[in-house]
Amino acid sequence: MIEALLQALVNGVISGSLLALPALGFSAIFAVLRFPHFAIGALATAGAYGAWVVNARLGLPIAAGVAMAFAVAALLGAALEYGVLDRLGRGGALMKAIGSLALAMVIENVLRFAFGNDLQAFDLPLARDVVFGPIRIGPQQINNLLVALGVMAALWAFLALTPLGRSMRAVADNPDLARLKGVDPRVIALLTVAVGSGLCGVGGTLIGLDTSIDPMTGARILLSVFAAAVLGGLGSIPGAVAGAFVIGIAEELTVLALAPSYRLAVSFVVILAVLTVRPAGLLGSRAA
Amino acid sequence: MTELSRRQMLAAAALAAGTLAMPRILRAQGNGPIKLGTLTPLTGSGGSYGPSMAEVVNRAAAEINAAGGVRGRQIQIISEDDQTNPEAGLRAARKLIDVDGVSAIIGTWASSVTTAVAPVCWQSGVFLATVSGADSITQLPHGGFIIRTQPNTSLQGTKFGEFSAELGAKTVAFMSPQTPFTEAQFKFITEAVTKAGGKTSSLIYDDKKTTLRTEVDQVLRGRPDVIVMGGYTNDTAVLVRDLYRASFRGKLIGFGYAVNKQLVDALPADVSEGIYTLSPSTAAGSGAYAHVAKLLGVDAPDTYSAQCFDHLSLIAMAMAAGQGTTGAVIKDNVRKVAQGGGERVTEAVEGLNLITAGTKVDYDGASGPCDFTEVGDITDAKFRYEQVKAGKVTLLKIA
Amino acid sequence: MITYLLFALVVGSVYALLAQSLMLSWGLAGLVNLGLAGFFALGAYASAMSTSWAHVPIPLGLLLAVLVAGGAGLLVCFSTLRLRDDYLAIVTLGFAEVVRLVASNEVWLTNGTDGISGVPSFLPRDTGLWFHLGALVIALLAVAAVYALQRRLLQSPWGRSLRAVREDETVAAVAGKNVVRFKAQAFSLAAGIAGLAGAIYGHYTSYVAPDQFQPLITVYIFLAVTAGGNARPAGAVIGAYLLVAFLEATRFLTEFAPGVSALQRAALREILVGLGLVLVLSLRPDGLLPERSQKAPGR
Repeated sequence: MIEALLQALVNGVISGSLLALPALGFSAIFAVLRFPHFAIGALATAGAYGAWVVNARLGLPIAAGVAMAFAVAALLGAALEYGVLDRLGRGGALMKAIGSLALAMVIENVLRFAFGNDLQAFDLPLARDVVFGPIRIGPQQINNLLVALGVMAALWAFLALTPLGRSMRAVADNPDLARLKGVDPRVIALLTVAVGSGLCGVGGTLIGLDTSIDPMTGARILLSVFAAAVLGGLGSIPGAVAGAFVIGIAEELTVLALAPSYRLAVSFVVILAVLTVRPAGLLGSRAA
Repeated sequence: MTELSRRQMLAAAALAAGTLAMPRILRAQGNGPIKLGTLTPLTGSGGSYGPSMAEVVNRAAAEINAAGGVRGRQIQIISEDDQTNPEAGLRAARKLIDVDGVSAIIGTWASSVTTAVAPVCWQSGVFLATVSGADSITQLPHGGFIIRTQPNTSLQGTKFGEFSAELGAKTVAFMSPQTPFTEAQFKFITEAVTKAGGKTSSLIYDDKKTTLRTEVDQVLRGRPDVIVMGGYTNDTAVLVRDLYRASFRGKLIGFGYAVNKQLVDALPADVSEGIYTLSPSTAAGSGAYAHVAKLLGVDAPDTYSAQCFDHLSLIAMAMAAGQGTTGAVIKDNVRKVAQGGGERVTEAVEGLNLITAGTKVDYDGASGPCDFTEVGDITDAKFRYEQVKAGKVTLLKIA
Repeated sequence: MITYLLFALVVGSVYALLAQSLMLSWGLAGLVNLGLAGFFALGAYASAMSTSWAHVPIPLGLLLAVLVAGGAGLLVCFSTLRLRDDYLAIVTLGFAEVVRLVASNEVWLTNGTDGISGVPSFLPRDTGLWFHLGALVIALLAVAAVYALQRRLLQSPWGRSLRAVREDETVAAVAGKNVVRFKAQAFSLAAGIAGLAGAIYGHYTSYVAPDQFQPLITVYIFLAVTAGGNARPAGAVIGAYLLVAFLEATRFLTEFAPGVSALQRAALREILVGLGLVLVLSLRPDGLLPERSQKAPGR
């Protein structure tokens, strides 16, 4: 039983790492623009298709695909913010949220129109798991975990060390104050959406590498990503990562303890419990 | 906004709806083409199946039309999307029936969509040919307006169980998402396996999950030598990958609609190697299956497309035999062309010619002999036993 | 053709009830309910189960639907009392998902993904047009009753307090309003209305299954309410009918797209729906019927 538990924990960390990047993107966008961007699932799918085209159609290595995924999702996310969502902002955060839902529908179906509904796989061999004592883990999963951690580290360095990153955090903390200091919140907002969407694109690609992709790849994980970001404290970057791991582990433990089909219910119960005790989320600071 | 403009707006909306509908009222009657609808999942979770189902019907209809149509009348296919959602599917069905005036609807896939659409069909005298698997569907009070080419669960489950035993299984695990036939499927597998002296277990997973590692671990702890996979293409792809990663060395059996070309193409060849699949089938040597393959330009068409091809062939021939185009004519004549002896035909063009010449036909389709019981279930089906070898679905036997 | 229009009107009326439910909780009380589909489902199941299996008369089934959904609304609202306001949205989203999971997996209770077929209808199915007309009359009566109720509530002291709570909770609390009670009442009533919509839908289509309550319907209703104007009952109702008209119209629009497969046509249709919604949102951020500024009493 201990072994089963341990293995489920490992599996949970792995599925958590797949949720972490989109959750990060979601949370970063929320931190600066203060609205839940529900199109992140579709942006993740778009990024994954970008990577797939580069890898499977053009025959370039996966790394180029990941870069492409970031670029495609970032550009698309920024374009949608600039062209559509920003205009809706006048009606309040909820208008933007609803608008992003509608845009998700558009993105998913543009992909469907172009690529069809068929499963598409990356040009990548599948390796059997490596066994360490009672625990097994896949080389691809380790890779994904490393990529996810690497991207998180890069993001942290960007936010903490570069002037641009610091401006982003300034806008997130207090837009008015940031404006006084000569930072244009609109530019920062666009940039944040681009980075956040790009992260989603990479996240979608990692999921695609782990399984395969179709137009609904991102939509399937949307609720879990949302749960992870909320659990960690909306707008908190480390919180999103922590939330993703907690949700990932909770979902795997559900399989052992309860029926596997109830994993989403368990996520929401975890959220309810955590938020009741800590209204700002696991690592959130804004307990307004 | 003022009161006046609100009224104007309402009037404009009503007018818009009216003008959109107007020409259709005129088009629905008269001696134009015979209208048939397809209602398949083009978006939503069934989206990987619906497109080729609609496509094969369109191409088969074009073939019939090119050969002169049904007693000289052309067939027009109108395709709608059920969005894999009974609410949206019902709206689409009403449009097909009331606006387009179709006399039959072909291809509803999700059992929930079929059940939602069925009352509307029999109430409006529209024939419904479905591929849904839930046993409850043919038990609806449909008065003959439904036929289903998908074998019901008892037939299918028993075959899966017997085949597992045949593969030498002592311990069979069943892994499936929650579908209307999951419970019954497992019951029949268990019956067949127990009879052969084995035992079974089951696990129901969430088909939206992107990894099934823990589920696989859970099942492998029971050391099964055969795993029966009850899901659809998308989730089966995830399951097969995770079983491979877990180094499962036993045998895998899946539904033919899940382990199809799409799945095999999406998996590295060594991962899909050796998976067995079962699909309802016609007797060996029937030309219908090869015909569907040619129509779609693939070498192993999935069973749903094969079934939709049969739906259209049966409907076209039933209309020719009954010399009418309504749903009631199809209902009354479908069994006359599907069973009961006569010249054996495997596609509609040949059958239509014979029927016009006054010969009785007996259709053997791409998905099976297509003989129906009183309630619309198929009486018997052979099954195609296939195995994935080197990235190709290859035929083992038909039995 | 007539049947199609009648059908669309019944569906539109069901949507209108849902839209009014959303308007009450969101537009008036400022409580974002992302779990509308869950309450819709609860009502549908409550009425379908009681009328099909326990053979209670339909009116009693409708009442049960309102009570069950309203009760669940109360429960959901109270479970978030200790949370920040905006978390209600997340809890309701989770609630709808849990309802669907339970309905799919607890086969002994709900008949699982098979659903409940043969739910008793208002008038027998073989009465042709009367079947649809009967359902339409009942649905319209429900819409009108809820509309009248909302108008009254809006103008009552209760409605004014509710808006005060929405605008500024602290001020309202200082003015002696029991903020929690107002919110719980509004949310529960709204949930009850959604339940009624579910029950009517179930009796009209004679079928209730988990698949019917996918989150998409919640999105649709949000759009309907946004398009119509989220703080006026008439706006919500008109928005709902327009939405159904638009959803159906896209079928005809895409029929003219040349050289595309059935799949691409379906994709085009959804693209149109999405773009249409974005367009409405950006052209009319306050909806067709914006909230009237409330005049001070005793002018």
